[in-house]
Amino acid sequence: MRSWRKFILAFALYVALVLDGSLALFLHQFMTYGDAACLIMPIGMMLIALFDDLNGKEIWLALGAGIVADVYFFGIVGVYTVILPVVTWLLQKSARFLPEVFWARLLAVLVGVMIVCVYNWIILSVVGIIAVPLKTMLFSLLPTLAWSFIFVILSYSIWGRLARNHPFMINLDNYQH
Amino acid sequence: MKKFLQNKKLLTVCVVIIAIFSVLGISVHLRNKRNTPLIIQSLGNDVVAVGTRVVDFPISLVSGGLSNVNELLNTQNENNYLKSKVTDLEQTKARNETLEAENKQLKSALKIKGTLTDYDLINASVISRSPDSWTDLLVINKGTTSGLRKNMAVMSGDGVIGRIVEVSAASSKVELITTSDKAANRFAVEATATNGKKVHGIITVVGSNSLAFTQALDSNKLKQGTKIYTSGMGGNSPKGLLVGSIARTTHDSFGLSDLIKITPAGELNDPSVVTVIRRKVED
Repeated sequence: MRSWRKFILAFALYVALVLDGSLALFLHQFMTYGDAACLIMPIGMMLIALFDDLNGKEIWLALGAGIVADVYFFGIVGVYTVILPVVTWLLQKSARFLPEVFWARLLAVLVGVMIVCVYNWIILSVVGIIAVPLKTMLFSLLPTLAWSFIFVILSYSIWGRLARNHPFMINLDNYQH
Repeated sequence: MKKFLQNKKLLTVCVVIIAIFSVLGISVHLRNKRNTPLIIQSLGNDVVAVGTRVVDFPISLVSGGLSNVNELLNTQNENNYLKSKVTDLEQTKARNETLEAENKQLKSALKIKGTLTDYDLINASVISRSPDSWTDLLVINKGTTSGLRKNMAVMSGDGVIGRIVEVSAASSKVELITTSDKAANRFAVEATATNGKKVHGIITVVGSNSLAFTQALDSNKLKQGTKIYTSGMGGNSPKGLLVGSIARTTHDSFGLSDLIKITPAGELNDPSVVTVIRRKVED
């Protein structure tokens, strides 16, 4: 049973992925103003990267979460599959230069959200799934950042506790004796 | 070239970029060409769909409670409107039953097995939506086990809202009619002109998610408010599904041809329950 603890973060990201779809459905009437995106799972992954910046295995967690998100939401592989590991790596590398306080991490996550949104727009436009003008995409960043701000505030302590107490693929029991 | 090949970091970046675009290209090709997704993809879809149903339950209780309060406030107006419709409804129902029976008799007399207007209805619930507002994708809780197939038309509210683009065992993806996906299968539609003749065309998306009736001849004979139905000519949808009504006719960006804008009849903003249309007649 204890060996399952190292996969708790993966399960939490699965729940976050499910919440992304459900909240996008139920909050659509509010989120449709300015074409906002619901990015609970990517935000979760970014916070995990900031809280546990020395765990290199989280890149694989980001890759797995990205593949599942791509298959479920878009039916193609290469959107979150690419950008989630990239953003996770970037945040892990920059975490050592950031103060370990909420506001610094919030800003880092919001920058990550912007990178995710721009990358999604580029890739989905290139493959022809969307035809959204650059101006519309740029205007959609503001409401997306506003929603992301709320999601970070609501989930910050949850991801922090999970990342500290149940780091991905690391059995903490080995360090307790 | 030699320098490039010796720079391992640059070479790795190039290989990774090529690999990413290859995977993207292959997956987009599979998405557009295959009738059913790969087994692993189908399994992934269904596993997430199961979780979504569990999570949706408490969220829908809260969301449903709020909308119930809103509906209660509108009850009196709705009641008055519905009362005025009830008398008409009974008469229409009786007339429909008579016409249906007569239609059946005539078809059997002419030995016609199926026509473009024959279809079955499969009801489903929307369980998820794509997290960004650009892709216009919904996930519903029915799949191949309920008889759903790729490209079936989907209705919600009073009209067509989209088409099934990917179908797994217990869930399916619906692409809304307002999608800007270049590979999307467009609906073949028809409308009755002022001279009584049928005008055929297809539904296209123009501007920011606005629908237009394009490729139509004699478009100047279509009046504002004319209802537009599927023609059944595309090979996937049956005939006679309401798509919308003509809002106004303008010119396209070049000023050369008419652009007929449509007000969609389906519930595109908040479709919680949808009906999938299974066409009876084969291609």
